[in-house]
Amino acid sequence: MSGKHLPKEIAAAGQICRRCRAAEAFLVVRTEPLCRDCFIKYVHTKVIKRMESFRVRFSAVDQSRKLLLPVSFGVSSLTLLHVLDQHLSKQKERTGRTGFELQLLFVDTSSVERASPEPQLVSLLKGQFPDHSCTSVFLSSIFEDESTDSEADFREYLPAVAQADAQPPSAEQRLEHLMKSLPSATARSDVMSVLRTRLIAKIAEEKGCEGILWGDCTTRLAEKTLAETAKGRGFSLPWQVIDGDSPYGIAFNYPLRDLLKKELTAYADMANPPFSSLIHRSPGSGQLSVSSKHTTIDDLMKQYFESVEENYPSIVANVVRTTSKLQAPPSQRTDQFCRLCNMPVTNGKFGIHGWGGDQQDSTDALPELSGNGLCYGCARSLPQVTAL
Amino acid sequence: MPPSLCALCKTSRAFILRPKDHQKLCKPCFISVFETEIHHTITSNNLFHRGERIAIGASGGKDSTVLASVLKTLNERYNYGVELILLSIDEGIKGYRDDSLETVKRNAKQYDMPLMIVGYDELYGWTMDQVVEQVGKKGNCTYCGVFRRQALDRGAAKLGVKHVVTGHNADDVAETVLMNLLRGDLPRLSRTTSIVTSTPSAVSSPDSPSHTNIKRSKPLKYAYEKEIVLYAYHKSLDYFSTECIYSPEAFRGSARALIKNLERVRPSAILDIVRSGEDMARLVPGGNEACSNGCSGQTALPEEEEGGCGSSNGRSAGGEMASMEHQLAQNDIATEVGLEIEITSSSLNGQQSGKKKDPDAVQLVNGKKGRRLKGPAQTPRKTARQTMGQCKRCGYLSSQEICKACVLLEGLNKNRPKNNIEVSSYAPEQEHGHMNNATNAMQKLQLGVD
Ligand SMILES: [Zn+2]
Ligand SMILES: [Zn+2]
Ligand SMILES: [Zn+2]
Ligand SMILES: [Zn+2]
Repeated sequence: MSGKHLPKEIAAAGQICRRCRAAEAFLVVRTEPLCRDCFIKYVHTKVIKRMESFRVRFSAVDQSRKLLLPVSFGVSSLTLLHVLDQHLSKQKERTGRTGFELQLLFVDTSSVERASPEPQLVSLLKGQFPDHSCTSVFLSSIFEDESTDSEADFREYLPAVAQADAQPPSAEQRLEHLMKSLPSATARSDVMSVLRTRLIAKIAEEKGCEGILWGDCTTRLAEKTLAETAKGRGFSLPWQVIDGDSPYGIAFNYPLRDLLKKELTAYADMANPPFSSLIHRSPGSGQLSVSSKHTTIDDLMKQYFESVEENYPSIVANVVRTTSKLQAPPSQRTDQFCRLCNMPVTNGKFGIHGWGGDQQDSTDALPELSGNGLCYGCARSLPQVTAL
Repeated sequence: MPPSLCALCKTSRAFILRPKDHQKLCKPCFISVFETEIHHTITSNNLFHRGERIAIGASGGKDSTVLASVLKTLNERYNYGVELILLSIDEGIKGYRDDSLETVKRNAKQYDMPLMIVGYDELYGWTMDQVVEQVGKKGNCTYCGVFRRQALDRGAAKLGVKHVVTGHNADDVAETVLMNLLRGDLPRLSRTTSIVTSTPSAVSSPDSPSHTNIKRSKPLKYAYEKEIVLYAYHKSLDYFSTECIYSPEAFRGSARALIKNLERVRPSAILDIVRSGEDMARLVPGGNEACSNGCSGQTALPEEEEGGCGSSNGRSAGGEMASMEHQLAQNDIATEVGLEIEITSSSLNGQQSGKKKDPDAVQLVNGKKGRRLKGPAQTPRKTARQTMGQCKRCGYLSSQEICKACVLLEGLNKNRPKNNIEVSSYAPEQEHGHMNNATNAMQKLQLGVD
C-alpha cells in the first residue's frame, strides 16, 4: 500500500498537497503534488465527469439503465470498476437509487492464449463486487450463436476445420483452428481482439445494455491510435477512440480517457478497499521478446507509449484528443460493413487490393467481392481468407 | 533444401527476398516488378502528361538516383513523352555537397539528362557557410531547413519548369503519418498523404511559371526504402551514400525508430500506415475535399511541410518534444482554471452546471470553418497555421504575412557585415545529445530478424 512501486518521477517527497494544502503530498500528478486523498478524488472526478449522462436524475425511477463493463483483470478495467462501484454505493446512500446498473463480463481466452487470467479470479471478483451481476464466457462462444444472419455471417468465411468424421467441429475447435491458421503473432492478437469486441458487443445487446464501458485509459487510447494505424485500420479509429455510437449498434464509452496509465497504477496501489489481488499481471509484460516472431504491433506501441508517458504525458493526451477529432463519415443505408470487425467500409474498398499502394491493376471485377468482405485491416490479418 | 524458384517467372532461381511482401524473386523479375509498380503509380494517378517538362529533385542520394533511373527507363519504355531534367540545390556548405554534386553530375551524363544546379547564394543571396558565420553553428539548421523547403520550387521556377518530382518513398510517408499523429497535427497528416501536392494560388500566366504554382509529386510514394536500395544495388546505380548530417528532430526521429521496428514485426506495416494515412485524411474535419476520391487529387502544400531527411529543424529542435510537452501542460492548467471558473458561474445560473468543457487538441484548427479553440490558453504557433496565403514579399505560399524564409533573410541582411570575413571551414557534425528517451528506447530495441 505504500508508494514503493511508484516511478521516481511521480514521487513527491516532502511537498505539501497543492489541493488541500494540509496533507503531505504523496505523488506529483501532472506537475501538481497531491496527497493520497486528493489523488483518489482526482481519479474519481476524472471518471465521473465522463459519466455525466448517466446521472440519477436522468434515469427513470422504474427503469434502470444497464451498462456493460468488460473486466480483463488488468489495472484499467479493475480501476474503472472500483471507482464506479463506490460511486454507485454513494448514489444509493444519497438518493436510494442509482443512475445506472453495471453488468460485469469476463471473456475467457485461455484456450487460445497462454497468459490469460486464471478462472478463479472471476469468483474472487464476484466476492469483492457482489452488487453487480457478473458473467464469464468463453471466447469460442462466438461460434455458438444459433442466429443465422447469413448474409453478414463472418464465420463461414473463416478457414474450415477439416472434418475427419461426421461430427461438426466444436466451437473450441473452430476458434483454435482459426488462431492456428493466422500468419503472425500480430495477426493473432489482432483477430483475437476483434473477436472479443464482437462478442462483448453481442452480449451487451443480449443483456439489454445501452452501452459498453471500456477500460482504455489515455495511454492505451494513444497506443491504440498508432497500433491500429500501423495495422491498416486507420479508417476505423473514430469508432475505437471516440465516445458514442458504434457500428455494433451500441454506444462505446471510454470513462478512463483522461487518466494516464501510471495514474491508474498508482491508484491500484493505494485504493481502499484494495483490489490488487485481483490484478492479473501477464508474465514478462513490459519486456519485449527479442524475436520479432513473437512481438506484436500492440506490444511495440505499448512499450513506446509507456516510455513517452514518463516524460511527455501531455503529448500522450494530445494524441488522443487529436484522434478524437476525426469525424466518422455520416452513416448511410448503403454502407457496407466488414464481415469480421463490422466496421463500415466506404466505397466498397474491401481487401488489400485495388488501391494506390497495391500498384497493380485490380483483377477483381466486383469490388464488394474483393477481400471476401473483409476490410483492409482484417484482410491483412487473414490472408488465407482473402485468397479463397 | 532445394534452391527455390522465382515466384514470378518460375524458371530462374530466386535470389531476392522482397522486403515488401517476402516474395522470392530472381533479379530480372525484381527489377521488372519494381519498375512496373512505379509505372502503375504514375499512370493510375495521371502524374505526367505528354510534352511536360519535369524536374527531378536530385541530391545524389539513393532515392533521387533511383527515381531518375526508373523515370528514364519508363519514359523510354512506355513513351510518356516527358522531358526530364535534374535539379540540384547547392546549399553552399564547403565540402559537404561536393561529393554528392559530383554524383549528380555523373548521373546527368549517365542518364543523358540536363542538369541544373541552383545555389543558395543565387536564390537567397546567402550560402549556408555565410549563414553559419553570421549566426553561429547553433540554430543554423532553422535556416537550412526553411531555405531548403523553398529551394526546389524556386529552382524549378528559374528553369521554367512547373512540375518537380521528389524521391520521397513509402517509409518517408509512413514516418510522416506517425509523426503528425504524435504531434497532433491532423491537417498536415491529411495533406502529406497525397501523392500530388501543389500550391493553390496558381493563377499566374501559364507561360511564366513562378514558384507559387509548382506541382510536386512523389512517384516512389509506395516504394519501400529497402527495395529502393536493392534496386540501386542490382542496377549498379551510381549514388552517393551518406547519412544525413542533420539528426532528425525528436518527433520524426521517434517515428522513424518506430517504423523500423514495425517493419520487422510485420513487413506490410509501412504500406499499411500509408493506407491508414490516406483513409484518415478523409476523416479530418474540414479537411481536403480533394482527398474524397482516394487522395490522388491535388492538395495544397504550405511551407515547412514535407519532411524527409534534413528538412527538419535538426539539432536546434532536439528539445521539440520537451517544448511541446511544456506548452501542452500549460494549456491544460489554463483550461482547468477556466473550467473551474465556468463551472462556478454556470452553476449560478442553475443551468448545465458542471458541463464538461472540452479542451481542444492543441494543433487542430479548422481553418475553413473557423471553429475557435476553446479554453483561455492556446499555443501561439498554431493559430494562423491553416490560413494559407502568399508571402507579401516573395509570393511563396505561407501561413504568415511574410514567409519564414523572408523573415530569416531580413534578419540576416540587417546584420550583414560590411565586408566579408574569411571563409570558415564549417564541418557539419553529428549531434545525438538531444535524442529523447522515447526514441532511444525504440532504437535500443533491436528486434532480431527471424
Ligand atoms: Zn490533499
Ligand atoms: Zn474488418
Ligand atoms: Zn523470375
Ligand atoms: Zn517570402
